[in-house]
Amino acid sequence: MAVAALTVGVFGALILFHAAYSTIQYKSLLKITEDEFTAPPFNVVIELFIGLLLCFWAALTVPGKFLSIHPHSDENRIVSLPANLDFMIFNHRGKVFPLETDLKLKH
Amino acid sequence: MAGHSGSGSSDKKSSNGVNELLTFNAENMQSNMKIIYYSRTFLSIIGGVVAGILGFTGLKGFVFYALLMAFTSLGLVAKAKFSIHTYFDSWNRVLIDGFLGGLMSFVLFWTFAYDIAHIF
Repeated sequence: MAVAALTVGVFGALILFHAAYSTIQYKSLLKITEDEFTAPPFNVVIELFIGLLLCFWAALTVPGKFLSIHPHSDENRIVSLPANLDFMIFNHRGKVFPLETDLKLKH
Repeated sequence: MAGHSGSGSSDKKSSNGVNELLTFNAENMQSNMKIIYYSRTFLSIIGGVVAGILGFTGLKGFVFYALLMAFTSLGLVAKAKFSIHTYFDSWNRVLIDGFLGGLMSFVLFWTFAYDIAHIF
């Protein structure tokens, strides 16, 4: 799925390059007829729009799926120790204790 | 039972137990934020190229960028299947985050494409 979306994105980018090349050719044509440049020709605008749509879809699909952040959802059930043993975070019942913000060092 | 298979799906940001959603899986949250960032940056670049080829100058380009970001937000909300709270902790993250960072990429590629298509 990611590879298909990637090819779609590359294809969209190629369409954009082709549209850029068409616009450059159009501008050199305008230089010959000495007209002003107001907007690219209609088919270039359509091409840009299609390229933008394809890249839009690819941009939303290629980076991957969203993962649920609920700690109790069914897809978050597997628990494993973190690779770095120096920093481990646990979800234990200590969270019901109120947070004491005025702890002082007893000496 | 538990093995060293990858990093832990552990939790962070616990509260005093009143609000359930304050405890969430931070690693997945970060992964979701990365996805949003990549999507927005890529679309800013593509939008910059399109704006440059179309010949937008001045305010029209920024309006185009705002429209593009609005559509991106819509697309991201649709990707999250409209239930934001399953994947993020607040609406701001999916709607507003990455807006200004993408703006710089947009302007860069906008000027780049405009130069290539219209000046040289």
